[in-house]
Amino acid sequence: MNLRKTIIGTAIALGAATFTAGTAMAACATADLPGEMEKPDGFPARALSMIVPYGPAGGSGQVAQAMAEAVTELTKVSINRDHKPGGSGTVGLTAYMATPADGYTVLEHIDDAASAHALDSSRPNPAEDLIPLVTSQITFSQIYIRTNEDRFTDWPSFVEWVKAQDGKATIANVSKEGSMERVTMKFITDATGMQIQQISFDKGAPRYGALAGGQVDALFEQPGDVRKFLDSGMFKPILTILKDAPEAFADVPSLTDAGLDFEPLFRFRGFYVAAGTPEDRVKWLQWAFQKAYCEESYQAYNESKFMTLIESFRDTEGSKELINNTVAQYRGVYKDMGLEVK
Amino acid sequence: METFNNFIGGTVTLFGDPIGILIFFGGVVGGMLFGAIPGVSMLTLAAILLPFTAHLSAEHGIMLFSVIYCTGVYGGAITAILFNIPGAPENAPTAFDGYPMTLDGRAGKAVGAAVMCSAIGGTVSCIIMMFATAPIAGWAISAFGPPEIFALVFFGLAVAASVGAKTFWKGWLSIMAGLMIAVVGLDPVGGIERYNFNMPYLAAGIHFIPTILGFFAVSEIFVQAEKKATGAYKAPKLSVDFPTFKELWLHKIAVIRSIIIGFFCGILPGIGATLAAFMGYNEAVRWSKDRINFGKGKIEGVISSETANNSATGAAMIPLLALGLPGGALTAMMVGVFQMHDMEPGPLVFINSPDLVWVVFAAMFFANLSILLVGFLEAKTIVNLLRIPFQFLAPMILLLATVGSYAVRGLVIDVVVMFVAGVAGFFLRRSGYSVAGIVLGLILGKIGEQTFAQAMQMLHFEFTGFLSRPIALGLLIAGFLTIAGSVYGAFFKKEAPQNNNADADSTV
Repeated sequence: MNLRKTIIGTAIALGAATFTAGTAMAACATADLPGEMEKPDGFPARALSMIVPYGPAGGSGQVAQAMAEAVTELTKVSINRDHKPGGSGTVGLTAYMATPADGYTVLEHIDDAASAHALDSSRPNPAEDLIPLVTSQITFSQIYIRTNEDRFTDWPSFVEWVKAQDGKATIANVSKEGSMERVTMKFITDATGMQIQQISFDKGAPRYGALAGGQVDALFEQPGDVRKFLDSGMFKPILTILKDAPEAFADVPSLTDAGLDFEPLFRFRGFYVAAGTPEDRVKWLQWAFQKAYCEESYQAYNESKFMTLIESFRDTEGSKELINNTVAQYRGVYKDMGLEVK
Repeated sequence: METFNNFIGGTVTLFGDPIGILIFFGGVVGGMLFGAIPGVSMLTLAAILLPFTAHLSAEHGIMLFSVIYCTGVYGGAITAILFNIPGAPENAPTAFDGYPMTLDGRAGKAVGAAVMCSAIGGTVSCIIMMFATAPIAGWAISAFGPPEIFALVFFGLAVAASVGAKTFWKGWLSIMAGLMIAVVGLDPVGGIERYNFNMPYLAAGIHFIPTILGFFAVSEIFVQAEKKATGAYKAPKLSVDFPTFKELWLHKIAVIRSIIIGFFCGILPGIGATLAAFMGYNEAVRWSKDRINFGKGKIEGVISSETANNSATGAAMIPLLALGLPGGALTAMMVGVFQMHDMEPGPLVFINSPDLVWVVFAAMFFANLSILLVGFLEAKTIVNLLRIPFQFLAPMILLLATVGSYAVRGLVIDVVVMFVAGVAGFFLRRSGYSVAGIVLGLILGKIGEQTFAQAMQMLHFEFTGFLSRPIALGLLIAGFLTIAGSVYGAFFKKEAPQNNNADADSTV
């Protein structure tokens, strides 16, 4: 009850993310941004560094690479990526906060930074302690099963089967309590009344292998991360965790179709610079990263990852709004879950 | 016959193009060199090269990475043997016996064994990969879930307790110390922070690469420095006396066993060559009639470890190519190479790009064979580094280890961890504890805790669930029997407990 009240207030802003691919491409017009921008006092006079708080092979590592290449393509300024994985992004963020606010070091981070701040306000607030340059990926989640599964074939039969297992059905998910994935699963189990055991897998490959090998009954994931399994026909989605199904998944039931009444949470990835960075440098970085979003190479990358199915682009103000709404939403959810919100 | 024809086709494509040949040999040499430098591993080379592969054809890009993978896993053996610095975690067990062989003037034999066995392990697993990628991949992920992997880790730890320590208790205490270090950081179930004392950097846990460099390289420098100060130092004798075929033939069973172990570990997503090397070594200890001499310079230790870790390379390509599941960091980067060329590894790659698959298979086959040729030439040269006097060599090793620790994540705390481990290792070795056991506990502990938590969730928190999974049950029984055997050996047999006569300055 409280949960619903809490999230309704933020629903409109997040709901705006569920635009179609066409809208995403329209955002790429970015008509208000100049095609070129003079370097303020010669900044940057050397290569930039980008701290990535995750490994090079995962979603963050890949988007960091795609964005760095697009920025370099556009500005001819090199970006050296520095991966500092560990602690669900904590290590990289802490290392970044210790760097000078001179604009030469930028940060890639995901919504985990917002949810960590929501739980513990002593953690950096990405909307205040950092300046978002651009949010370049916003995506939704789905529930997947094996295509050759014969115990259930779609969402209704899956729910029915899970209920019959009396809590013994399993789904592969990430491990961190309070994460977007775990909170969303709580929404689903609360809304359907089904009990399902979540199996914690930190890394993608073992998680996908668990479903492919029949170790678990279902998988919670974002479509871009399992695209190869969808294209090869190994996995199929049975629920899209969005109010309305995007065209690419028109035949997969959405939350509305499935009669699930909760506001979806999103995975988002973006690029930041430290608060306190000279304003003229921030402006140049905002221009470079927002303009790079529209580079052909970056758009091709986003498309390959199903990141154009909903509106992925947010400029600085849009990103702050997204982060603030996300923090507020998670705070409400955490309190409702009985977690200690500091 | 079709496989053979495909292989010939892949070979012709590989060597019929001068650019392909250049990339192939660049990968062979680059993998060996980067693999040999601690911290700056084949992963560093792969990360540097990743953006450039966009400018190569898909065949060349993926072939380059697969070649680096094969030769990089071997490369770390050389520094492990000559200086007690494993180039990568999968070479750590190689140092257990390889370095004592160097101190004993048998560096050439150890390096030669590493070259031969890396080539054999890699080539055989590559051949199996060519014939049976799809069915093996499907079987592996169905048969080996978290309960089976946990049971495998438990079995490995049970055997490992007997490696390198003076007594039964010191062996187990060493393992337990490693397990304790492994629990620092986020727990694998709820992401709860443990033992990080409000230090954000420790939230990621203690990384095993600086720990290995500290326990092995730094503590060894302290040990040798102490000897130098007390006049007990003896420079290792230079030797380029490679093992004969007959010598290696005597250990054919160890080679076959390690190929099988390495292969099974390699095909499990997220496990890979490190567990393969440790398990290969452990099994060599377990089945040996001369267990007490492991850790003191038995060539069988080098053979087992190097065969197993290279055997894992071909195997790791199976889940990658057949299912799109990378087994480790390098194979995960290979996914990136595929994606740069608008491809995804997985079942469709065999249908859509069979030529590419067979170029990769051929490249890996010849990369493993070239370990023999280039490896021997490299070894003949690099062994001469032992001529450098200790007072010059020690600072170089310390510098390399420091750079290697820092390079892992660019964090100073990793360098601090390395030096703390170095000092701790120095005193622990003097007291008869096993630094190998600690490192093993750390590496297997992380995998073991995660898979135990997953297994418990899957089995609905009932231990009896293991009884319904025959492979897991078999491995657990084998682990308990191993523990029972070592307890019996330590307390009821008349002979001295395991390794009771180990030197105080045993290298592991």
